[in-house]
Formats: sequence, C-alpha cells, structure tokens
Amino acid sequence: MSESSAKPVSFRGGGFAPRSVRWIGVTVFVALILIAEWGTRSGWISALTLPKPSDVLDTFRELYESGLLFKHLGPSLSRLIVGAAIGASVGISVGVLIGLFSYIRSGLVPLVAAIFPIPKIALLPLFVIWFGIGEGSKYALIAFGTFTPTVVATYGAVDNVDRTLIRMGQSFGLSWWSIVRKIVLPGAMPGILSGLRISLAIAIILLVAAEMLGAQYGIGAYILEAGSLYDLERLFAGVLILSLLGVIVSAVIGLIERRLLRWRI
Amino acid sequence: MITFNRRKALALMGGTVAASGLAAPALAANKKIKVGALRFTSHSGSFIALERGYFADAGLDVEFEFFQAAQPMAVAIASGDVDYAVTAISGGLISLADKGAIKVIGGALQEEGGIDGQKYLISDAAYQAGIKTLKDLDGRKYAVTQAGSSFHYMGSKMAEAEGITLQFTPLQKVGAIIGAMKSGQVDGWSIVPHIAKPLAAAGAWHMVANVSDYIPNYQVTTVFTSAKNAAEERGQTEAFLNGFKRGVDDYAAAMIDGTADQDAMVELIHKYVYTDRPLEKAAPSIINGTMRLSTGAALNVASVQDQLSWFQSEGLVDSDITLDTLVDSSYVETTGA
Amino acid sequence: MDIRLDGIGHAYDDFEVMRDIDLEIPTGQIVCIVGPSGCGKSTLLRFIGGLEQPKKGRVLQVGAPPAGCLNPLTYIFQDFALLPWRTVWGNISLVLEDHGIRGAAAKDIIDDVLARTKLSDFAEALPKQLSGGMKQRVAIARALAVKPAVMLMDEPLSALDSQTRELLMDDLVDLWTRQPFTAVYVTHNLAEAVRLGHKVVVLSRRPGQIREVVTIDKPLAAREFSDPDLDRYQKDLWHLMREEARAADAELIHV
Ligand SMILES: Nc1ncnc2c1ncn2[C@@H]1O[C@H](COP(=O)(O)OP(=O)(O)OP(=O)(O)O)[C@@H](O)[C@H]1O
Ligand SMILES: [Mg+2]
Repeated sequence: MSESSAKPVSFRGGGFAPRSVRWIGVTVFVALILIAEWGTRSGWISALTLPKPSDVLDTFRELYESGLLFKHLGPSLSRLIVGAAIGASVGISVGVLIGLFSYIRSGLVPLVAAIFPIPKIALLPLFVIWFGIGEGSKYALIAFGTFTPTVVATYGAVDNVDRTLIRMGQSFGLSWWSIVRKIVLPGAMPGILSGLRISLAIAIILLVAAEMLGAQYGIGAYILEAGSLYDLERLFAGVLILSLLGVIVSAVIGLIERRLLRWRI
Repeated sequence: MITFNRRKALALMGGTVAASGLAAPALAANKKIKVGALRFTSHSGSFIALERGYFADAGLDVEFEFFQAAQPMAVAIASGDVDYAVTAISGGLISLADKGAIKVIGGALQEEGGIDGQKYLISDAAYQAGIKTLKDLDGRKYAVTQAGSSFHYMGSKMAEAEGITLQFTPLQKVGAIIGAMKSGQVDGWSIVPHIAKPLAAAGAWHMVANVSDYIPNYQVTTVFTSAKNAAEERGQTEAFLNGFKRGVDDYAAAMIDGTADQDAMVELIHKYVYTDRPLEKAAPSIINGTMRLSTGAALNVASVQDQLSWFQSEGLVDSDITLDTLVDSSYVETTGA
Repeated sequence: MDIRLDGIGHAYDDFEVMRDIDLEIPTGQIVCIVGPSGCGKSTLLRFIGGLEQPKKGRVLQVGAPPAGCLNPLTYIFQDFALLPWRTVWGNISLVLEDHGIRGAAAKDIIDDVLARTKLSDFAEALPKQLSGGMKQRVAIARALAVKPAVMLMDEPLSALDSQTRELLMDDLVDLWTRQPFTAVYVTHNLAEAVRLGHKVVVLSRRPGQIREVVTIDKPLAAREFSDPDLDRYQKDLWHLMREEARAADAELIHV
C-alpha cells in the first residue's frame, strides 16, 4: 500500500465517563448566590421572592451571636441523634433478622413494604397520642422515618453477602453467632452504610415535621416559625442550617465508610 | 362595552357609594375578583354580601377561594392570586406588609363588651390538678397554632397582665390543639366561644375568663388586600368594602340587634359554614359563634398598634415597621387613634 | 483417619446426579477426582465435608482424627473465600477464634502456617493487595491452621493462570513431602490430577459413577513438569474421559 493512502485512524472512543471536577461545584454555588445578591439588590428579584443572601448571612450571624443558634441546634441535634439512633439500630437488627430467617422474612417484608410509603408526617397526631407532646413523639417520628429505609437497605445488603464466605465459615465449624458477627455483618456493611446515607437524610427532613408539634426550640421549629411569619431571611437561615447538617452527616458517613470499608477494591 | 342594568344604576345612585364617579369604570366592567375566605362564621360579611347581591350591586363579580388556614390566604393575597380577604393580624401578615405586599384596609371581627367573645381555657387535667385560675398557669404549657399567631398574642397579653410566664407550645392546627387540650398535654388556650362552650359543657376544659377582660376592644380580624389593589385599584377596593359593609350590617341586624330574621340569616350562613352538618345541628354553633363585625368595617387602630408593638417586642417582626406600613387608613373610619 | 464412601447416590428432585459411589480415601494420600463437567464432583465433595447430605449411602470417618485437629474436614475453595475485610493474619485467626485460640497460642500457629506457605511477610496485607496465587496460599494456610485430618479441595487452582498453577502445585508437593496430609482434590485438569494424585478417580458423565480408579505409584516429590511417565497417565485418563466429556458436553446443550 502506498504511503499516500495512509491516514491516521480517527479517534472515536472517549466520553461517557463523567468525572467530578472539584471547583465546578463551588463555582455553581457562588455564581447562584451572586446572581441572587445582585438581583435582590438591583430590585429585579422582589423582596417577596427571595431574600438577599447577605441578609440571610446577617441573620445567621445574629443567630449565632445571640446564642440562639445553639439553643435551637441543641434540641434538634438530640432529637436527630436519639431518633436516628433508635430507628437505625432497630432497622439494622430487623433487617439482619429478615436477611437470616425465613419466617421473619415472610412475615415482615410485606409489612415493611406496607409502611414504607406511608408519609410519616401524616402519623404525627397519632404519635402525639401514643408518645405525648414532648420529646417522645419527636423521637418516634424520626425513628420511624429512618427505620423503614434502613430495614430495606440492610436486608438487601445481607442478601448480597457472598454465600461462599458463609459456607466457608460453616466448613470451618464457626458458630452461628460468629458467622453473623464476623461474616454477615461486615459483608453487609457497605449496603448498610449507603442505606444510612438515605435514612439520615430522611431523618433531617423529618426533623421539621417532628418539631411541628409542641417544640419551642429546634431548627425545625425555627423554620416553621419563620415560615408563618413570612420571614424569608430566617427561613433561609434555617434551611441553610439543615443543608449544612446534611453535608456534615454525609461527610461523617463518608469518613466511616473510608475507615470501615478500607478493604473494598 | 358599557351596559347599565337596574342594579348598577341603583348602586350608582346609592348614597353609600363614595367616589362613585371614580368607581364607575370598574363597575361598568362587572369586574371579576377573588375573595379569600375560611369557612368560619366570622367571614359571614363576605358570604352575605355575595348571597344578597351586594357585591354585584357594587359592580363586582365575586368568586370565593376557600382556604384551610389564614397563613396561605395571606400569601395568596401577596402573590395576587386572591384580591381581598379577612384574617387575624399575625406576624406573617405584618411581615408581608413590611415587604410591601399587602395592606390592612378595614376592620372585621371585634371583641366587644356585652357580646360573647373569645374565652381563656384551662384543660380539665390541669384543672383537676389544682390550676383553677389563669394566674395558676404560671410556667405551664399554653397552646398556640404557631409563634406569632393571634393565639400567641392573646396568651402573651394575658400572661403580662397576670405577671406570669407561659410555655407557648406550637401545635399548628386548631384540631391538634383541641386534641392536646382534651388529653391534658397542654394546659391553657383561648378560642372563640362556639368552640369553647360545647367542649366546656362536655368537660374537656374550663372557661375561666374572657379575652375581652384582658384585651379591651381587641380588633381580632381585619380586611386586607394587596398593596397594589390598595394603591392603584381604589374604585374596585371601595366597591368591595361597600358590598362587605352591607353584609356586615345585615349580619349585625339579624344576629346581634334582632332587627332582622335570624333564621333566614343562619340558613344563609349555613351554605358556607358547617356544611357537613344538617341545618338543625349547625344552627346552634352558628348562633353561638356570633361576634361583632365592626360596623362600616371600622378599624380600631389602637388595637392594631398594640398588636404590632407586641409582635415587635417579641422580636417576631422587624422593629422599624410603622402602623402606616401595615394599614392604609384612607378607606374606612378608624377608631381608637 | 480414613474416609469411606459407602454406596453414595443422589438426585435433585428427579434429576439423578450420582449413583453407587464406593471409595476409600486413606490417610496421608491425595485422591484426585476428575470427570466431565456436571458429573457431580463438587456435590460429592460437599457430601464428604458434611455441607450436604446424600439421598443414599453414607460417608464414614474411619478412626479418630489425629490429636490437635480442630476441624477434621477442611475445605479449600476455588474462589479462595477470604474475608476481604480481614488481613491475611485476621483471615487465619478467624478459624482459630471459635476454638478459643487467641494471643500467643494463635500467634504460634499462624506464624507456622504462614511460614509453611511462604507468606510470613504478608501477614498484615488485605486480600485486595494479593495476587490470585497468594490468595490461594492464604486459603491453604488457613486450612493448615486447623490441622485438618482431610483437606477437601474443589478446583483450588482453576481460578489461577497456568504459571501460578505450576508454582502452587510445587508448593503443595513441598507441603505434602514435608508433612503428608490427606486430601480429596477435585479438578478438571488432568495435568493437576497426575501431578498431585496418589489415586485418580474418574467419574462418568451424569449420573456420576466411578469409571475407574487409577493409582500412580511414583512418589510426589519425584514427579516433574512434563514428566513422560505422567504424560502417559494423563493420556490414558484422557482416553477414558474423552467419550464421557463429549457426551456430557452434548447433553448440556440439550438440557
Ligand atoms: N442445589 C442443586 N440443585 C439442583 N441441581 C444441582 C444442585 N447442585 C448441583 N446440581 C446439579 O447437579 C449436577 C452436578 O453438579 P456439580 O456441581 O456437583 O458438578 P461438577 O462435577 O462439580 O461440575 P463442574 O465440573 O462444572 O464443577 C449438575 O448437573 C448440577 O446442575
Ligand atoms: Mg464443581
């Protein structure tokens, strides 16, 4: 073949492999905030539509300086921690039981499927009757909301544990409890943790609902109050706190994942 | 296209129609407007005005938009989805006024000596535990729908007068509060008489005082509209108020003064309120719920100022808001100033 | 301790996979089982290991396991079955913990088996850091740690490339030469069978029956890569199996 007929093969691979580029996310945030700031300052975004981001920041600072931030954050965090801890631990236990025992699986899987889609907020009045208007009903709502996604994630994760590892455990004569503790639980951990990501986000969502009834302090109560006062600065400051909470929770789980799941390829 | 019918001609000639020349173009167009309402007897002024054709007389084609709560109604006015409505003064309302979205243009429900008004309540559980007077409520749970609601104001004024502190407990909805009072999870509350009385009779709670004892001449609800309507649609706004005032007059004549047929009025109101019950059962509640709607939609600015000041002192709204930001006093007679 | 299979037969529902298997596995010998795909080799190994029960016949242990034996019948799996979240050390200590062996006692055993499998330098490595051959050596070390009476190996080298396979076969021969162990070794690979087996059991296609038991007298240590003697055995075995394999292959298509 003559040299003149030779041409480079045209490249047709590449693409379809999105990577995350670090500073783009921050840039999008900053750009949106700047647009909002400029729009509210120049007036083409009315005060009714959106608060001035700088005012939101001011409100947040005032909240912090007055010490009210912690007065609101304290009860909310304790509700979140207690509620989510109850929901997640019961959810993981039930999920593991469903993953291990046929009768429990047959009995509970339809039940969990039935309660999963119930908007937990709708049950709030019921919880108030059952657990009272104090912290009980708030813990219960958050616990209940985190329970179902945790169960589903957990038994899915247990189902996905490599059966040959379990057979291996049996072939070495490991006790049932050892197999659960040393093989099933660690093997299900990746699935459980990614389930927790979702459950804990739901817990934060439910915080606002939980604080609808009878909460004098709390981020949710603060947001609801701001909403009823149509105070957009406070509303956004509250929402900002929830978002930050979400980011922190996600980062903590990321940290746990990195520590606990170092073994993953 | 200008067509005069008998009603409109009458309306034009009617002495009550102020600035009729100004209003004429709007009237002639038989203008469509939306009025927000809750299904409460306190909104009867609008119901009567529509049913008896007073709005039509004023040249307005009114359509009601019903809401479950006052808060979304205020937002609907601010967004321009609804033109006029009646509601209690709340922190949300003041904030919206501060943002230049709405204006209070008249008065509606008013506490008045001699007419049964709102009651302070103590739950039966608390009562049995020895809390017999409002003073005893010191440090106890007092139910409100939300921070900055009229319930919050009433509770706070009472606490101030009694020199006690209350734990204000937000429960969002009147239904939730009734449940919490019945089960003794909150200790005190205030509510309109037609809700207070039957449940007091049933032993759920005890009525221990009148709101009017603590807040004289309390302007409970006001008529409000968007700032735009107040400033630019003067003719239409006056027309609305004229229709509304005639409704209020009819209400007072039938329900308070006894100069008109009460049964007919109850039947009319029943078209909008307690519609899920038969008339015989609804009638006592409607009659029990009778309160003064201020004549001529007069606005007690002293009471409004007191409420505004309270919201400000609680830090619920901005402290530089003035009465003028909230109220456009050019439409109705003002009192208490 | 010997193992005796006594008239083993099995069927999944109406699907007969095995018939009349009688076999003796004497102490200190490696018995290889070869046979066409689907003839029931893995199933037979599960019977021996007590992970499954045959419909007919019995698996018998003859004599007591040697002193200090923690898990008489010990598996080595084709896909290693290492816990990915435990280090090499942790994977071996896993099988000792349930026997209450911890601390210094565990260290002695683990150090010993790691040395025997030439893994001493990798005690703290995670499985993901190891090559396939090393992973299987960890699995072998883990099996040795419980001092098994009989090792049950189901295609332990199939997941490895052929060079690694050769190396590992040498390792197994070394291990056996230093301290003879008893093993049932299932494989597809006739070269492995003739290299490691004192006896090679040829199963027929499904339902699996014993077609022939070939005994190879040449000592393990004397067998070498492409040993002509072994080649002859391998050729004979292939002749035995060829028809069965072809039939089994055709049968699978019809299933
Ligand atoms: N749990 C089971 N249920 C039903 N059939 C099974 C089960 N386990 C194995 N079989 C069938 O039994 C037969 C023997 O299976 P086995 O895995 O023992 O064969 P094998 O000789 O190990 O095959 P390979 O060489 O492919 O590993 C196969 O046809 C298989 O489909
Ligand atoms: Mg097999």
